[in-house]
Amino acid sequence: MIPARDLRQRSETEASALPPLLARAEQLAGTVLLGDHGRRRAGMGDDFWQYRPAQVGDSRRMIDHRRSARGDQQYVREREWQIAQSVMMWVDQGASMRFTSAPGGKAALPEKIDRARLLGLATAVLLIRGGERVGLTGTTLPPRRGNMQVMRLAEFFTRDDAADYAPPEHRAMIPHARALFLSDFLGDMAEVRLALTKAADRGVRGVLMQVLDPSEEMFPFHGRTIFESVGGSIRHETLKAGDLRDRYKDRLAERKDELSRLCRATGWRFGTHHTGDSAQSALLWLYRALDGGTS
Amino acid sequence: MTVIAGIGFSAPWLLLALLALPVLWIILRAVPPAPIRRRFPGVALLLGLSDEDTVTDRTPWWLLLLRVLAVAAVIVGLAGPVLNPQRDAGGRGPLLILLDGTWAGATRWSEKQDLVAAQLAEAGRANRPVAVLRLTDPEAPSFQAADAWRSRIAGLTPAPYAPTQRQIDTMLTALDEAGTFDTHWISDGLDYDGRARVTEALQARGDLRVYQTGSAVMGLAPPVFDDGAIVLTARRSVAGPSRDVVILAQGRDPAGTARVLSTATATFEDGALEAETALSLPAELRARITRFEIQAQQSAGATTLTDDSLRRREVALISGREDREGLQLLSPLHYLHQALLPSAELLEGALLDLLPANPDVVVLADIATLSQAESEALAAWVEDGGMLLRFAGPRLAASDVSREDEDPLMPVRLRAGGRSVGGAMSWGEPKGLAPFAAESPFFGLSIPEDVTVNAQVMAQPDPTLADRVIASLADGTPLVTRKELGQGQVVLFHVTANAEWSTLPLSGLFVEMLERLAVSTATQAPSAMDLEGTTWEPVQVMDGYGALSEAGTRPGVDGPDLAEAPLGPELLPGIYESGDRRLARNVLTAETELMPATWPADVPVEGLGLGAERPLGGLLLTLALGLLAADILASLALSGRLRGQRAAAAALAMLALGLSLSMAHQGQAQVVADEDAALRATEELVLAHVITGDPQVDELAHAGLRGLGDTLRYRTSVEPGDPAGVNLETDELAFYPMLYWPVTADQPIPSAEAYARLNAYLRSGGLIVFDTRDADVAGFGASSPNGRRLQRLAAPLDIPPLEPIPHDHVLTRTFYLLQDFPGRYANRDVWVESAPPDAEQVEGMPFRNLNDGVTPVIIGGNDWAGAWAVDQSGRPVLPVGRGFAGERQRELANRFGVNLVMHVLTGNYKSDQVHVPALLDRLGQ
Repeated sequence: MIPARDLRQRSETEASALPPLLARAEQLAGTVLLGDHGRRRAGMGDDFWQYRPAQVGDSRRMIDHRRSARGDQQYVREREWQIAQSVMMWVDQGASMRFTSAPGGKAALPEKIDRARLLGLATAVLLIRGGERVGLTGTTLPPRRGNMQVMRLAEFFTRDDAADYAPPEHRAMIPHARALFLSDFLGDMAEVRLALTKAADRGVRGVLMQVLDPSEEMFPFHGRTIFESVGGSIRHETLKAGDLRDRYKDRLAERKDELSRLCRATGWRFGTHHTGDSAQSALLWLYRALDGGTS
Repeated sequence: MTVIAGIGFSAPWLLLALLALPVLWIILRAVPPAPIRRRFPGVALLLGLSDEDTVTDRTPWWLLLLRVLAVAAVIVGLAGPVLNPQRDAGGRGPLLILLDGTWAGATRWSEKQDLVAAQLAEAGRANRPVAVLRLTDPEAPSFQAADAWRSRIAGLTPAPYAPTQRQIDTMLTALDEAGTFDTHWISDGLDYDGRARVTEALQARGDLRVYQTGSAVMGLAPPVFDDGAIVLTARRSVAGPSRDVVILAQGRDPAGTARVLSTATATFEDGALEAETALSLPAELRARITRFEIQAQQSAGATTLTDDSLRRREVALISGREDREGLQLLSPLHYLHQALLPSAELLEGALLDLLPANPDVVVLADIATLSQAESEALAAWVEDGGMLLRFAGPRLAASDVSREDEDPLMPVRLRAGGRSVGGAMSWGEPKGLAPFAAESPFFGLSIPEDVTVNAQVMAQPDPTLADRVIASLADGTPLVTRKELGQGQVVLFHVTANAEWSTLPLSGLFVEMLERLAVSTATQAPSAMDLEGTTWEPVQVMDGYGALSEAGTRPGVDGPDLAEAPLGPELLPGIYESGDRRLARNVLTAETELMPATWPADVPVEGLGLGAERPLGGLLLTLALGLLAADILASLALSGRLRGQRAAAAALAMLALGLSLSMAHQGQAQVVADEDAALRATEELVLAHVITGDPQVDELAHAGLRGLGDTLRYRTSVEPGDPAGVNLETDELAFYPMLYWPVTADQPIPSAEAYARLNAYLRSGGLIVFDTRDADVAGFGASSPNGRRLQRLAAPLDIPPLEPIPHDHVLTRTFYLLQDFPGRYANRDVWVESAPPDAEQVEGMPFRNLNDGVTPVIIGGNDWAGAWAVDQSGRPVLPVGRGFAGERQRELANRFGVNLVMHVLTGNYKSDQVHVPALLDRLGQ
């Protein structure tokens, strides 16, 4: 096959996946903008926040002469978002995320990766509209602003990772930036711990969101079963799956505990989202969690 | 065949495989259910978790049991199990299968035939020669191959009697010559004389084995008329638990159809052999009963025929004027009353009042003169079959009746005065009776010594006198004379009906004589003595099943034999007739008791109910399959692959599979199609044509009716829908007011059913327009192939006389005023139902008042459909004539079509004279 043609065909295939994800992300982000956040910022503009009387300690350069010339009082013009924050995202593209428990397939219940990408992209849309710079952890896509960045993010989100449980990408994190990690966190905890400590070292704070399938929460299995990871790298055979339920749930709770403990230690926030729930509530929570971090 | 616990096995060694079942149990126990593979990201959390319960890898015991049962069912099924195996009774050499063959076995005769067939099959397997005999049809046993007998099983029928002594003797003689053999005796379970002798003879020849049903034999004794009710007695051979039997009274209803006229239920008490019930019926109904039978019993014994004993004759008693009141014993009718009351319905009153009731017998006791009207009515009644019984007396002796000339209502001329003997004023002794002559109806009756006659009226010696005397005194003077009159007869007792002139009315002979004369009927079965000297001719005889057949040329039977002789091939039960009297000879008499057959202790007796051999292999294999199917479900459920909806779906699928195997669905589509056609035909008015099978003709007919429909829609308020083609064989015709039937020369003749429906259609007001389409019916078709075909097509139809359409037929004015009825051809005759011959034209009226209704057929050859035909866009399909004249002809054809449909829809509405003025106006007259 001619490489150029192959490339084009692939890119078109990829591109065809983009618009739906983008559109859905925009749609999801739109619902948030129409909420109370949107009203708070309407008409304010990106830069101007308020005039306030100059105080002792304010640099004279900060005095807004146009406003101050109208009276005797000197005013300082404050701007919001004076420095755009950099938000770095990591969305788990590993094989374990490509899982849905619904017998009807993706139509009935989205795959975890689908939900994670949607949430990530929707958050990115919101943040970029808010003027932040959004990028991916690692060196592939440094944070930038503007709508083109959304396109680029969407493009990166179409790339699957072959690895069963992908370790969090923690390289090239900009100091004091914000971060958003979306994954099921079912893989090796050491990697997560490493990433978070590294981030904490650099003053990066952020949000961990664990996206789980309902079946992973409920463990509704019976009888003799061989469980396999999606990539097929791990397998476990049991003769009575029902008996494992309680112990599995204990382990999952333990995992969640550890994650939230880790988050508390590093100043991150931890949330869990199930693909069976509405994406919008998760987005709201995410946005607030990130927002809360900035203010 | 090995028999284990009543079940035979054709391959018993296979059962050894059952020993392997415990091994199978252990193996199956060790194999856990196959695992299910599941993708599950959370597996990372499961790593290191081990199962707590190590026993669960064993299959649960109930699943094991299920599987072992399935395997056991397969093993047993393959071993060829047979329920009710025909056991090999063993034995070699000839086998005699002996049946009683009496009526007692008729009810379950088919079982006996099956048993014989089974015995034959077994003997065939053992290669034994067989003979099949019936004791009621004795013959020398001929031992043949079993196959030779098999086809003759169906010919074995039960006889309506038990074996007679003669038959048993014949049989014993035949058996003596037959050498040694084993015997299977299929007994009917009823004892009869000589059975023990046969048993001994058979035991002497070889092994004897008896097959006998355990159930009781039922019989029905002849009905007895007692106190206004019919008393029916059912008997059974074996006392058993309490049981109800329904007795049906069968006879002909007034329309002459045989049916059950009444039913009665008799109850055998626990342990009783007899059950009695009474049936009270009006005389009319009672007289119509021909037989009683026990429901669900099909034997001659459970059937009893009725005869005159239930037919109570109506006797009108008329006596002369009573001189004195209260002297009952002197009343001329007293002894007649006493004699007839138990057995006849007595009517009393004035003669002219009684005759319209059409009594069977009119008794005139000492009545000499009758009025003109009375004698005429009485003579007419006698000539119609009545019986006039007259008694002499002082008035008759004193009168001039039948003195000079013989009175039509007297059998003989009488001499004046009569005579008296043995009285105080006369010489001689009172006279006794002479023995009855052989040709007398009283022949055979014994004459008591004490019957004497003191006085009598004397007959004039006439040439015919000797023929008319049926009883006389010892000195030869006539005592009873009789003559035929028309279909009836007149009988004269030359003595009084009371004891004044003779002691005859005091004796039993009097009653017997009345019975013989069929004046009264016996209330009890006649004894041999009663019937002495009579000969009875069989009318209908009964077979072993209790069915009657015409007696044909069977010889007559002597009276005493009929009463007493045992039934046999010479005397079959049935209806016998002698003169006016009918007697029924039934299998059971009032005294017959049904004795169960008992056998010597050394004779093995087996039940009849040997069920047919029934192989169980298929059943067991099916069971194994079912168990395995259940195992599938259970295994799925156990391995967690069958939950909730899937379980329900799987169970439903299996159910549906089972149901679909047992259910046959058919005819749904056909019904729907029929309904659609019916809806189409009835939502609007639909013109229809008959599908001839020639596509061109059918298309043209369709186009023609479409064109006619268009014309109707434009010009009238009739708005037909799309025309329909009608298949005479399958389609319902009733929806269509009119059928257009183009006749082709090679059209198939419809079936008889189709003609039946066509006739029904015509009778219910339908109209068929036959069109030979060749302009040639004037000579009525003999010359054209279409015409000949029309003749054949229409021959089975119910068509009234036809005539060429008259000028004043209502078709000429139902919508348009027409005199010609052209289609593509013009000026040929059109035939319709002819006018009634009495139709007359009233002066001043242009039209006759013609037949009502619609003519059922219109026959023509003008190819109307061709002229009407238009294509989809409304253009004519075929040319008609030339130029303007042709168009005019098409217009007239259309007008004829309009008139035709109007005629069909409105009938003779336009025939009403009310329209005459308007029509006259339009005609310009």
